[in-house]
Amino acid sequence: MRLIAYGPFTDTALDWSRGGEGLHLVFGSNEAGKSSALRALRHLLYGIPERSADNFVHPYASLRVGACLRPAQGQVIECIRRKGRGNTLRTGDDASVLEESVLHRCLGGVDADLFGAMFAIDHADLVRGGREIIQGGGDVGRLVFSAGSGIVNLREVQNSLEAEADQLFRPAGQKPRLNEALARLSRYRRELQEAQLPGREWAGHDEALRTARSRKALIEDELRTHQRKLARLERIEQALPVLARRKELKNAWEAAAGAVLLPEDFADKRHGLLTRLGIAEREKRQARQTLATHGDAVSSLDIPSGLLESSELIEETHRELGSQRKAAKDRIGIEVRRDTLRGEAGELLKSLRDDTSLEQVEGLRMKKSEVVKVQELGARYERNITRIQDGRDRLPALAREIAEVQEALRGLSAPRPVEALRTVLAEDEQWGPLERQWRKEQTDLEVALQGVMLQKGGLRLGAVRLEELEALPVPYAEGIRLFEERFTAATQRLKELERETRKARSASDEARRRIETLRLEREVPSERELTQARGIRDEGWVLVARVLEQEPVCREKVDTYLDKTPGALSLADAFASHLRTADAIADRLYREAERVALKARLLAEEAAHGEGLEKLAKEREEAESDTQQAEADWRNLWEPVGVSPLSPRQMGPWAQDFRALVERLKEIRVRQARAATLKEDIDAYRSKLTRCLVGLGQPDSGDKEPVAILIKRARTLLEEQEDLEHRRLDLLRDKAQREKEMADAQARLEVSEGELKRWQEEWEAAVRPLGLDADVLPAQATAVMEELKSLFDKLKEAGVLQKRIEGIDRDTDEFSGKVSSLAEAVAPDLAGRPTDETVLELNNRLKRCRDAHSRKETLEKQTEKEKERLKLAEQAIVQVTAQLRRMCEEAGCQGVEELPEAEARSKKRRELERDLRDADEQLRRLSAGSTVEAFAEQAQGVDADAASGEMERLRERIDELGAEKSRLDQTIGSETSELARMDGSARAAELAEEIQTTLGGLENDVVHYARLKIAAKVLSRAIERYREKSQGPILKRAATLFSRITGGSFEGLRAEFDDSGHPVIVGVRPGGTIVPVEGMSDGTADQLYLALRLAGLERYLERSEPLPFIVDDILIRFDDHRAAATLEVLADLSRRTQVIFFTHHEHLVSLAERTVDPSVLVKSTIGA
Amino acid sequence: MFTFLHAADIHLDSPFHKLDRYEGAPVAEFRQATRRAFENLVRLAIAEKVAFVIIAGDLYDGDWKDYNTGLYLVSRMGALRDAGIPVFVAAGNHDAASAITKTLRFPENVTLFPAHHPATFLVEKVGAALHGQSFATPAEKRDLSRGYPPAVPGRCNIGVLHTCASGREGHEPYAPCSLEVLRNKGYDYWALGHVHQREVLQEDPPVVFSGNTQGRHAKETGAKGCYLVSVDDHGRIGVQFRSLDVVRWATARVDAGGAESGYEVVERFIRHLEELVVESDGLPLAVRVEVKGETLACDEILSDVDRWTNEIRSAAVESGGGGVWVEKIAFRLRMPVGDRFPHVPGGAVGELLHLLDELDADPGSRVELGAELADLEKKLPRELKTGPEALRLEDEHWLGDLLAQVRPLLVRRLLRKGDAL
Repeated sequence: MRLIAYGPFTDTALDWSRGGEGLHLVFGSNEAGKSSALRALRHLLYGIPERSADNFVHPYASLRVGACLRPAQGQVIECIRRKGRGNTLRTGDDASVLEESVLHRCLGGVDADLFGAMFAIDHADLVRGGREIIQGGGDVGRLVFSAGSGIVNLREVQNSLEAEADQLFRPAGQKPRLNEALARLSRYRRELQEAQLPGREWAGHDEALRTARSRKALIEDELRTHQRKLARLERIEQALPVLARRKELKNAWEAAAGAVLLPEDFADKRHGLLTRLGIAEREKRQARQTLATHGDAVSSLDIPSGLLESSELIEETHRELGSQRKAAKDRIGIEVRRDTLRGEAGELLKSLRDDTSLEQVEGLRMKKSEVVKVQELGARYERNITRIQDGRDRLPALAREIAEVQEALRGLSAPRPVEALRTVLAEDEQWGPLERQWRKEQTDLEVALQGVMLQKGGLRLGAVRLEELEALPVPYAEGIRLFEERFTAATQRLKELERETRKARSASDEARRRIETLRLEREVPSERELTQARGIRDEGWVLVARVLEQEPVCREKVDTYLDKTPGALSLADAFASHLRTADAIADRLYREAERVALKARLLAEEAAHGEGLEKLAKEREEAESDTQQAEADWRNLWEPVGVSPLSPRQMGPWAQDFRALVERLKEIRVRQARAATLKEDIDAYRSKLTRCLVGLGQPDSGDKEPVAILIKRARTLLEEQEDLEHRRLDLLRDKAQREKEMADAQARLEVSEGELKRWQEEWEAAVRPLGLDADVLPAQATAVMEELKSLFDKLKEAGVLQKRIEGIDRDTDEFSGKVSSLAEAVAPDLAGRPTDETVLELNNRLKRCRDAHSRKETLEKQTEKEKERLKLAEQAIVQVTAQLRRMCEEAGCQGVEELPEAEARSKKRRELERDLRDADEQLRRLSAGSTVEAFAEQAQGVDADAASGEMERLRERIDELGAEKSRLDQTIGSETSELARMDGSARAAELAEEIQTTLGGLENDVVHYARLKIAAKVLSRAIERYREKSQGPILKRAATLFSRITGGSFEGLRAEFDDSGHPVIVGVRPGGTIVPVEGMSDGTADQLYLALRLAGLERYLERSEPLPFIVDDILIRFDDHRAAATLEVLADLSRRTQVIFFTHHEHLVSLAERTVDPSVLVKSTIGA
Repeated sequence: MFTFLHAADIHLDSPFHKLDRYEGAPVAEFRQATRRAFENLVRLAIAEKVAFVIIAGDLYDGDWKDYNTGLYLVSRMGALRDAGIPVFVAAGNHDAASAITKTLRFPENVTLFPAHHPATFLVEKVGAALHGQSFATPAEKRDLSRGYPPAVPGRCNIGVLHTCASGREGHEPYAPCSLEVLRNKGYDYWALGHVHQREVLQEDPPVVFSGNTQGRHAKETGAKGCYLVSVDDHGRIGVQFRSLDVVRWATARVDAGGAESGYEVVERFIRHLEELVVESDGLPLAVRVEVKGETLACDEILSDVDRWTNEIRSAAVESGGGGVWVEKIAFRLRMPVGDRFPHVPGGAVGELLHLLDELDADPGSRVELGAELADLEKKLPRELKTGPEALRLEDEHWLGDLLAQVRPLLVRRLLRKGDAL
């Protein structure tokens, strides 16, 4: 296959032409383009799809895959596939179009999908196949069908067909679409039935409505008349009591008509005025009392002058008094603190120096630079001391370590010269595997030779030595074929002659039998008899003629003649008798002409058959002698071979087998020679290696030891020596490093000691101002400096406190002066009192004076208000009295006390007038439009008792008519609504539409259901048919393959019946234990699937055009044993069709090299 | 100068045949189409202020029993009465069979020609004489035209007749008549009904089938309506077709030849549909789809007819602007000759294909296979079992057609592995 421009490839060739059909192992690491190559193969055969993704390097227009295809029959096809819409198959030179049918012819009807299913298997298929076996419970029919087609998802397809069909329809279901639609359909039909309105129903309702309407009009007329009459009588009946009451009221009114008519609120107004008068008088009294009380209170108040004017100054001194008191308290605490600090400073000084007082202490104060100098020297001292100590510790430790390294060096053994050995080992390491291969070859050759010997025996050539075999003059196939033809021809000829003889004999017999039959029926007259009879007649006639001519007649002749005629007494009698006889014969000849002719023909035939038989007998003799000659020649041909020949037909295959035997023998010889050469090379290498080893003091093991082990031994020795050398070098490096470290440490120690001496001098000068000696330690000097600093701090704080005490004393004096001058001005009686007391008393007096002042202001305001109140009360009394006087005048009374009487009279007259108006109003309402007087007159004319009877009668009639009208209204209502319901609605039409829509849906679903159902049925029939035809061979072959692939873990396979009687496949362990598929591991199920697939494929190949079988890395879940066994099985398969095995596992390549017959295995690599 | 309308074959409330409802189908647009078309007739008559309206038979379906249909008709006739337009009706075979006809009372503007003899009615206002006769029985086999009276002199003579004329395919042979006889009556216009495809049998004087007012199934394609006939002062007749239908039927014949994939076929359908939509005057369309030709997509489509039916339906929903209802889809596809494999392969798949071939060749075994469908067959409504498109689940030919779809369905489902090897 040539990947000219496809996917990642540019002009890459994959050579799968070697190894016969061959097991082609194609190795490619991940991303090497393995999948692209696989796809290219498929696209080559079936075209590149329109939306191919393999154009990422080459554009669509230049995609090309080419190949040389060798069909089982016919010529090699060289072709190239390009991408496009038509004419995509081109000749090998890409120059012209190649008919697609050329390719189709050698694909044996296998289209792209079937090719993918049947001739390609990848790991996913295998896993899926295995899973299907377990989940499908090992159903034989399905497994056999799967095996024979490569279809992995058979069960899934079957289930989905059933499930989809079930979703559409189930005979007893309700939910499926079709069931549901059918139910809907009958529901619609029912509804349609109900929705359809029959014409006569409409007409009936229409009629009823018309009748009810006209009847209702009549009743309404009558009802109106009666209602009018009843209403008049009712009005008069209601008016009669009203008329009587009106008369009474009129009489009473006439009596009360003289009273003054006062306003309706007259009484209320009077009561109100009297109440207001009482209130005003009470107010007047209270105001006068209050005014007197206020005058007394104001005159009793005392308010001294002067204090209010100095109020601000008094308040200010009162505020300052607080802070004065606090300052006096603070002063005591400050004094205590100051004295304490001074005491502490004195103590400190005493601890440092006895000779100095606090007053002289300033002489001890140090400069800042002097302090820093002392501190810096202290730090330098610490560093130096530490370094000197370190140096003194490190030196002895280093000396000890150097001694240890020297000891280890002395302990190491001396190195040996291994250069030569290294060279030999580097030279070649393949000799180990080669030797193994040589040994295997030796064994194989022996086996092959035994095979040849056995075959030789089988050919009955046991006595012939192997060397002589080739020289045997065994005839060639062509020669044997000639003999076979000769024998066949001779036998044929003999058989033919036999047949002809039989035929001729039976024909002759037949002729004789028919002649006899004729004879037995009745003798057939012959021409000869007639001639004879006529001769006798004519003889007689001569005599008779003579008698008639009266010529003399010889008596003897007459007697002789008479003798011929028994019973004849005279010549005439005799002549007449013979005349009759001759005529009779002639007549019969004429009459039985057919029988005569038949007999003549039969006789002729009989004679002819006789001759034929003789001729045949002669020919047969010749043929037999030919056959004998051929047999003799045949035996002569085989004489020199020393084999007594069987028939040429049997000897053809014999000769073929013989030639094959010779070929094998030749091949064995070539292999033997190759093996001998290999052995020499191996031995040469062994002796070279042994020499080196002996040189290094190793024992010579002779040629018994395999080269591989020898090499291993040499390698171990070399490695030991190399380790030793590495160790010695490491130790030397350690020693040198430690010696250098020791020298460095010594030098550093000396420098530090010099440094310490210089420090001593500087230190003495620095601590002198502190009054310390040179041998004082830096820590002691620092402590003295810190004490001094603390002393000076305390003295500084005591000075600050003294200043604050002086300030407080000054403030107190100023405040006392201010207070005494204030008291002198506003309260001379307080002179001589202490400052505190004076301030507090002044403040109290000011407060009292302010209270009295505000009380006076309040009383003055209240007095004004009371005066106003008194004035208002007096005005009100005057107004009310005037109004009451006016009311008395209106009612015509002398005084207020007469007013209630007048009010009662007025009320009486007013009530009577209102009642009269009410009665008139009632009558006006009942009069129905006429005047009150006219209506009263009308009422007078009616007899009340008779009217009540008339009214009762009218009411009854009205009720009857009302009931009937209501009935008619109901009828009209219901009929109207019935007719309204029949409004030309399209409900029924819509239902008819729904029915049609439902039918439309049903139609589609029915077809779909039928498709699914028939598909499921056809599929299961095909499965069953294929099972019947192929179960035996496929299972038998799969059993063998399964046993091989599982390395004998299983002995084979068997069809058993499961609990429900279905045939299922089970595995059989050695010893006969049965393992159902559910009991197999995933891996084993995968292998079972593979065994079945391969068996199915082989079955296919028995009858059909072979196509290459593409295997894509199916062994990744197999252990090495099973993988090796599978590779062998695939190698076997490759003798029937090409097997192309893609893998990205390198170990599988080496596994195949070890396992598979090298004449079949071809390796190649892509992407490298 | 006056005008009148000539219509026939209203078939009020007769439903559309077997429209399968699906998501996106314009259900509302198709509802009560015959009523709406009749409504259009009434509106046209009023708008054109015609002198009268002629209906040459078949107001409703013969087996339709709902009196509401009659009431609706009466209400519409009432609208014409209010506009002062008389209506002349000759009952046809369906009307004669209808129970509605027997009880319905038309308003006074409607005149029904008598059934047992021909009659002449005059429209004095415009000087027209209308001659006609109704069917007395549904199967009227006599030539009624022979009994029609001679033309009334000085009037515009119009013959109204429900007839199959000299016979028309798909129509019952009722009241046959010959053009010769019609011509000899000397009428100015013959208004014929019964044949649903409109046709002008003769130009002068016009002899016209108006066709029905609304197509109701896939065979009644194209615009449907009535004729607006004008008569000028010299008695010259002008004829003009006016469409009344609210929904139109069409057939989309999609050539799938050479298509590479199912989607390409759908694309071609869309292009074809777009033309049909343009031709449909903006009316909702019911489309019967026939996909034909030799294509590589054959297997892809036939292996999943259900799916591709839905693809075509949704394409129609999308590109038909919501106004297209795909009635039915027939796939008549073959693989291109060059891509057909010449042999049946070996192995199990070969066995399956052999079995399919055998079934193809042996009607007997097909019928036996049909027994699988017996349960369903028993339950199928009679509408689906009769007529030219009947589902004959036990018929060898029907099953043969089905098997042609079963083959790719099975092969595809079993062998489809994608592009991987």
